[in-house]
Amino acid sequence: MAPMTTQTLQRPAAPAAPRSPVRRLRSRLARLAGGAAAAASRLSGRGSGASIRGQVMLRLDPDALATLLQGRRIVAVSGTNGKTTTTHLLAAAVRQGLGDQAHRLVTNADGANLHHGIASALSRSPRADVAVLETDERVVADVVRLGRPEVLVLLNFSRDQLDRHHEIKALGRSWRNALEAAGEDGPVVVANAEEPLIVWAAQTARRVVWVDTASTWQQDASLCPQCGAGLARTQPDPETGEGGDWSCTGCELAEPRADLRVRDGEIVDADGRRWRPDLQVPGAFNVGNAAHALAAARLLGVGTEDALAGMHTVTAPAGRFATARFGDTTARLLLAKNPAGWAEALPLATTSTVVLAIDSAAADGRDVSWLWDVEYEQLAGRNVVCTGPRAVDLAVRLRYAEVEHQVEPDLARALAGHPEPVDVIATYTPFQRLRRMGGV
Amino acid sequence: MPSTPEKVHVALVYQSLLGIYGDRGNATVVTKRLQWRGFEPVLTVVEPGDPLPQDAHIYLIGGGEDAAQISAARLLRADGALQRAAERGAAVFGVCAGYQILGRSFTVGEHDQVTEGLGLLDVTTTRGPQRAVGELLGTWSGADGEARHITGFENHGGWTTRGPDAEPFCTVEVGIGNGDGTDGAVNGTVIGLYPHGPLLARNPALADHVISLGLGGRELPPLDHPEIAELRRQRLAAVRPGR
Ligand SMILES: [Zn+2]
Repeated sequence: MAPMTTQTLQRPAAPAAPRSPVRRLRSRLARLAGGAAAAASRLSGRGSGASIRGQVMLRLDPDALATLLQGRRIVAVSGTNGKTTTTHLLAAAVRQGLGDQAHRLVTNADGANLHHGIASALSRSPRADVAVLETDERVVADVVRLGRPEVLVLLNFSRDQLDRHHEIKALGRSWRNALEAAGEDGPVVVANAEEPLIVWAAQTARRVVWVDTASTWQQDASLCPQCGAGLARTQPDPETGEGGDWSCTGCELAEPRADLRVRDGEIVDADGRRWRPDLQVPGAFNVGNAAHALAAARLLGVGTEDALAGMHTVTAPAGRFATARFGDTTARLLLAKNPAGWAEALPLATTSTVVLAIDSAAADGRDVSWLWDVEYEQLAGRNVVCTGPRAVDLAVRLRYAEVEHQVEPDLARALAGHPEPVDVIATYTPFQRLRRMGGV
Repeated sequence: MPSTPEKVHVALVYQSLLGIYGDRGNATVVTKRLQWRGFEPVLTVVEPGDPLPQDAHIYLIGGGEDAAQISAARLLRADGALQRAAERGAAVFGVCAGYQILGRSFTVGEHDQVTEGLGLLDVTTTRGPQRAVGELLGTWSGADGEARHITGFENHGGWTTRGPDAEPFCTVEVGIGNGDGTDGAVNGTVIGLYPHGPLLARNPALADHVISLGLGGRELPPLDHPEIAELRRQRLAAVRPGR
């Protein structure tokens, strides 16, 4: 990679614009009220309080997010899958780069990535001037507009919770418009070159660092987001290790030349230099996440060696890949929220007994039709336990996949009594319950 | 059960364009239910640019985003195989956008662009007063005339008006469907319905009805799966609290 940046990590952020005494007082009261609500929530055992803190704050001071974003150097991380892990990898890289000034870093490590979650994290570290923010896809445009991030990481874009945002193209358009409106003040985008919708959305950015993660998932993109024509793809070549690429049959949109590529577990730059990230989080897709995090860290001014050393320290971001005890059972927790996420998680589940937990609360998506886009057939021959409120929907899917299984809707009972370690794959809501039950 | 398995040809139409909600599940259900009865299902997954098979017994069409739906409708009109299939009495089963494509016309997108459908069902779809998102519960009279529930999940912006030649497929108790208390339409061996995705997984009698239509009305031996009955019981309980 050519020298990516003239930035240095030590550069302080531009100071925030001065505010009137009345607005300062309102911000302060909102922060205090948010803190009180969070404490009450923690005491009653309802959760970390991050979300309620932000909600109370934004109700009392609607400008709180804009105010809190000011005066910081910001990296926003978004995409359908992998944002929490990538945020942790990037934060660890930046922390390593900051050395004894690590207190200058703020991040929403708990995965609370909507307006109030981001506001909550920022309010707790008013003096931290470097912010690595996991950002929900629906909040990206606002963060670009209000926070003027230096770097925006766009990982991937796939079907997720279509009952809520039914058209993923509209989200891509919101990113594209926000980047266009930001113009020369906008972020440098670190983006996945393999995803047509991301490439189209990032076209309006002032500069893009393209990453090729050698992903095999392409079921979500068949039409050109620019002109609607079909996309032509060349298949990856296992002999040479070259990834496939795509181009539109109707316009000029095509896969851009990558600045960073992932090949055989290594990150390779345009000059052919290679790094093998020594990650403690599993799976090829996490090497792809690390490539995005490395590019973003370098844009901020973190050295490559520091970035890789920092990323090595990440083990279980917000409980993902954590191993926990449930009575006598030892279980590793994997999160999968949509078909692309399941395609990544299923090959990682290698234990002879696998527990699959399905729910359809708002955070999971109320529609479980996606179960039929997951290749559960690959579990044939294993002991599969279906659990969670939609266990029977999964059981019917497994019946048609001809995979033997048991049904135990209760999470605690489904996890009880396994003498050998088990891998658990869960959708969002049961995953969070399992984290609490297992204390991770 | 036949001694040499009888081949039954199933075509899944434009999976990459019209498969957004797990709609391929309907093909999984149909082929497995054939296989479990001793038939030899042959599944063709047709992608845009490839011609549809001319000789399939059953054609399955799913849902998709606006641009994909318009593309698919144009390609299917040019291909012509579905019209010929309906004429020769093959089963044509569409859900969600696939249902709208089987009708006379539909409007999608911010500008209410009107696109011509295949005209196999006498229905017209225009933008509804609200988006229909959620569980749907309906009742149809099965092939044997017995009333049966339809349970599924719908997610569509268009509402559908039936013309004089369209029979509704079912009445709607919970959800929106066509928007007039009914859902879907049927004309001979062509059926369209709003609930998307693996609708046939939740409704095995409907799955067998589609298979039977594709086999010229042949009766099929029953298949008993307690898990599917339990799933239907749970979904009904979920949309009928207190009953
Ligand atoms: Zn194009």
